[in-house]
Amino acid sequence: MDANMAVIGLLALPLVGAPLTYLADRLVLRRGGKPRLGQWITLVILLLSLYILAIFWRSETRREGVWLLVGSISLHWDGLSVLLAFTTLLLGSVVTLFSGTYLAGEKAHDKYFPLLLLMIGAIIGLGASNDLFNLWLWFELMAVSTYLLVAFYPQEKGSLEAGVKYLVQSAVGSVLILLAIALTYTFAGTLQLDGIRARFSDLSAPLWVAGCLFIIGFGVKAALVPLHTWLPDAHAQAPSGISAMLSGVVIEAGLVAMLRALTALGAAETHWGILLMGFGALNMLFGNLMALRQHQIKRLLAFSSVAQVGYMLAGIGVGLAYQQPIALAGGMFHLFTHALMKGLAFLAVGALLYALVISHHQHTPLTVEDVCGAAQRYPLASLTLAIALLGLGGLPPLAGFMSKWQILVGGFSAQTNASVALMIFAGLNSVLSLGYYAPIVNRLYRHQASEAVLKGNPLPLVMILPLLIVALGILVLGFVPSLMNPINDWAASSILGFGIR
Amino acid sequence: MVNGWLLLPIGVPWLGCLAVWLVGDRKPRLQHTLAVIFSVLAGATGLALIPWSSQRATLLLPLGGVFDDFRLATDGLSVFLTVVATVIGSLAVIFSVDYMHGEHSLGRYYAFVLFFIGSMSGLVLTTSLLWMFVFWELTALCSYALIAFHNDDPKAVRGGVKALIMTQLGGLGLLFGALWLYAYTGSYDINQFLGNPNVVPPAVLSWMAFGFLIAAAAKSAQFPFQTWLPDAMEAPTPVSALIHAATMVNAGVYLLARFYPAFEAVPGWRLAVMIVGMLSALLAALMALVAFDLKRVLAYSTVSQLGFMVYAVGAGGVFASQFHLMSHSVFKALLFLGAGAVIHGLGTRDMRQMGGLRQSMPFTHAVFMLGALALAGIPILNGFWSKELILEAGLGHGNPAWIAWLMILSTGLTAAYTVRMVSLVFYGNGSKHHHEAHDAGMAMRTALLPLAAGTLSTWLLLGPFYTALKSSLPYHTLELGTVWEEVVKVAGSPEWGMTLGVGMEILREPSTYLVLCVVIVGLVAWLGRSRLASLIATFKGVEKAAQASFGFEAINEAVVQAVQKTGEALRVTQTGYLAWNVFAILLGWLVVLILTMLGRAS
Amino acid sequence: MDYLDGVIVLLVVLGLVGIGIYAIMVSRNLIKIIIGMQVMVKGVLLAFVLAGRVSGNMGLGQSLALTVIVVDTIVAVVALALAVRVRRRFGTLDPRALTTLRR
Repeated sequence: MDANMAVIGLLALPLVGAPLTYLADRLVLRRGGKPRLGQWITLVILLLSLYILAIFWRSETRREGVWLLVGSISLHWDGLSVLLAFTTLLLGSVVTLFSGTYLAGEKAHDKYFPLLLLMIGAIIGLGASNDLFNLWLWFELMAVSTYLLVAFYPQEKGSLEAGVKYLVQSAVGSVLILLAIALTYTFAGTLQLDGIRARFSDLSAPLWVAGCLFIIGFGVKAALVPLHTWLPDAHAQAPSGISAMLSGVVIEAGLVAMLRALTALGAAETHWGILLMGFGALNMLFGNLMALRQHQIKRLLAFSSVAQVGYMLAGIGVGLAYQQPIALAGGMFHLFTHALMKGLAFLAVGALLYALVISHHQHTPLTVEDVCGAAQRYPLASLTLAIALLGLGGLPPLAGFMSKWQILVGGFSAQTNASVALMIFAGLNSVLSLGYYAPIVNRLYRHQASEAVLKGNPLPLVMILPLLIVALGILVLGFVPSLMNPINDWAASSILGFGIR
Repeated sequence: MVNGWLLLPIGVPWLGCLAVWLVGDRKPRLQHTLAVIFSVLAGATGLALIPWSSQRATLLLPLGGVFDDFRLATDGLSVFLTVVATVIGSLAVIFSVDYMHGEHSLGRYYAFVLFFIGSMSGLVLTTSLLWMFVFWELTALCSYALIAFHNDDPKAVRGGVKALIMTQLGGLGLLFGALWLYAYTGSYDINQFLGNPNVVPPAVLSWMAFGFLIAAAAKSAQFPFQTWLPDAMEAPTPVSALIHAATMVNAGVYLLARFYPAFEAVPGWRLAVMIVGMLSALLAALMALVAFDLKRVLAYSTVSQLGFMVYAVGAGGVFASQFHLMSHSVFKALLFLGAGAVIHGLGTRDMRQMGGLRQSMPFTHAVFMLGALALAGIPILNGFWSKELILEAGLGHGNPAWIAWLMILSTGLTAAYTVRMVSLVFYGNGSKHHHEAHDAGMAMRTALLPLAAGTLSTWLLLGPFYTALKSSLPYHTLELGTVWEEVVKVAGSPEWGMTLGVGMEILREPSTYLVLCVVIVGLVAWLGRSRLASLIATFKGVEKAAQASFGFEAINEAVVQAVQKTGEALRVTQTGYLAWNVFAILLGWLVVLILTMLGRAS
Repeated sequence: MDYLDGVIVLLVVLGLVGIGIYAIMVSRNLIKIIIGMQVMVKGVLLAFVLAGRVSGNMGLGQSLALTVIVVDTIVAVVALALAVRVRRRFGTLDPRALTTLRR
């Protein structure tokens, strides 16, 4: 299989798999069985996609990137696409493995995996599009599948409320993106990302406006402060596997889409970079301060995602503003490690939530008080949660430390006052974030177990296994961070050198 | 991989950490045994490094990209501190067999202690600033986990989180220093930097120097970060002995000593270091004089003694500071473990409920007295020699005399609070329940005896230690070199002759006798305090201030409160109203648009 | 098409989008909010047609508009389905009732 075939396979597999999964589960249901088949089909499809990605990675021709023409749509597969696809498929497989038992009691079980596959397929496609409109189309497909997944518990008030807010705010953002696309098309005469970039060495006023619209439009999904207000609701109310996907890859997909659109308007790269640096500072501070006083764990983790996006923005902003590949690669690395860490955090909390609440057929949120002493009954779930939280707090030797380090190196290498000041600010924020991560870890390891823990049900191995896999990944990347260097560096260079064939 | 054995002092305890954790809490006996075996093995690997203390063995694992290389290297300083970490670590583990008998979560306890021993070895052995920072944070993580070991006690949790956040905050200084170094040289190699510090511009060098000072102050609980160490005393006592007296808190002093050649020329840096050290030494000694919690007294005393070492580095006495570090880790570990035996026997830390333990705990009394005398600076114990070297360095080299005088005052205060502590705990009339108090057990004695022997004898290593440092640290200028070398020539044997020579020289210096006088005044002042009642009354204000830790606690508290209140106030912004959320999007767009137009115009 | 026509269409685009956002912000009925979303998208469609016209590729502009209509319909369907659920569960369509998640 050559590189082109591999890319086509990657794009097609999840999208073809989605209806297949649904059909399989419906057939099983009709025969009165339990809908377990869909989960395994999904897992097979995702692992197969990962295998194809590996084939692509090892092919000779990949370095120049792959340009494809499907009908009249041109697709471009470069480092950024690989990073996004790898992150999504990896986290997606783990979530699939985790979610089967978690959802066993739910009515809409059969719709979960098809929607998950659809979302994953949309994100992979989003990374590959080389056309503004195509980019929006994938983005919207991703959004629609997540609307349904956020409002997954139709009987729960919170779930519905979060779904409505998420939908309406996303729709407003989507309209802004469309306006920007129309503007760009009017004044650039083309929708090809590389074509637009090649055309302008200086932007006219309407294109500047389009750039702002892109930042805000995609920024709604990427949770820039103050557009983040939907995030804590949606991430806290969704089923835990979906929370992991939303925090781990969906907001990052928004970020990648924004990057793609902005690199097309690359003539003003410095300006966009500085704006993103500003948003980065705002996100870090706001997210951390808000998380400091939260009592519901999933909501706390959601606010921490707002803060973590800030670090990525800082890396990407410095990278764009000062043409620093190190900072960009750091931002990309943090995108990956954050997916692992936040994914793990949500899954581990989900495991606890399942054991303490959901297996009793309830849907109350898990508070920090509920997990007191959880380590005694659920040692592995607690350990992995602790690893995820401390990793998010930036403690070595966990992956989160290394990716933040790379961002900081990038900021200092730029050797400008603004970038260095932003990095110092990021460092201070990282310390501040320990103020809410550390107490949770302490609570997990109490002797005096909370009532919820005492009444909790045992956890099945199939839920623990995915947690252990991700935790191992976080540890390994902490000691050997350079494993991800080739992908990160390629992603960074394909952003900075975008469209150069 | 050449010299892979250099990984052993890190790897062996880490392996032990994994083993103890995997055994699980259902087999406490096996856990105790495994922990002792692995820590003793670690101690052996540390001691096995000694032949490499005067030559450089290096290990380099390339990582690539901004992560550069993982480097380990031996020299006098790193081998010495590895030995301290692993040997005292193994003694603390042996002590724990008695002290932690019957506790919950032994697996977590031993795993973190062993993890700490390995991390500390890594911290001193590595010559890459990135990995130094990694190990630096790892020790902080272990310290946090062990302070908050009793997670159900809110005080312990608060102490742990406080220690973690304060050392992290200071650690940022080290972090940014490492980043600057990489930004200008593309490498984290420490020795390359020490060989030629001018690879970074002077302004940046000065940022780095003061950043490292902040990091060192936070790690070593120096002014103005000293408040976390007393609160860290919620940790089990062997941990206090190991981490918060003998090893981790020394990392700050080690950092300053290691980078002294690069920063000594930075204007104002040495003075700042001296002032930080002096203030810590003085203020902490005053606080030790009024505290009633036995472990807190020892904690303040640690801050104060670390202040001496920091001061020594600033005064140019790098060797004196490291020599005092050796003495201090031995006698302070002894004092802490002795205090642990007392606390274990009595079940309280309040010195007002102690007294008269001389009779019921004769063994503990004997070894504790040795440690206390060394702390007070009485000849011929190890604390005496190293403290004299520090003060000598302070009085020479054209250092400001007023700081040196204040340091001498601190030695007097040290003597006073030591006598106060010893007399409160072991002398006087005991209160009632002391008959049940039992003396130290077998494992405790096994740990205490070597430390007591060390307190008596480590100063004899002065000569070999000096030779090792001198031959392996090419960029350091060690003080007093010429005078000593003459003595060596006369004595014949280079190493032991030097011990003799320096000993003679210390005894010849007039300042030695001055300091001894101050020490004796300090001793007498406490014993005869009833006669000095009127004098003491005038210091009532100082006492009150000292009990309130000179207001630093209040400042900490205010900062924490302000941050928490801001967080709470900001929660209003999450209104929950869809209309407001959409309005925020619109507003965000407007702001971005205006900023963009302004940016475009400029 | 001359310049003035373009400006007029642009004003209509902005007007429609503005009306839509305004409706979303002030409506007290979820259905009206969904209608507001629809109005916004209609403005965007006009913008695409205008863009196609200006850049001289009318066909592309129209096909983009058509695609947007399809996607927008799907979003509207999902939104209406949610609205039905909200009405059943909350007993009202007032968005001000949807404020259980806050702070």
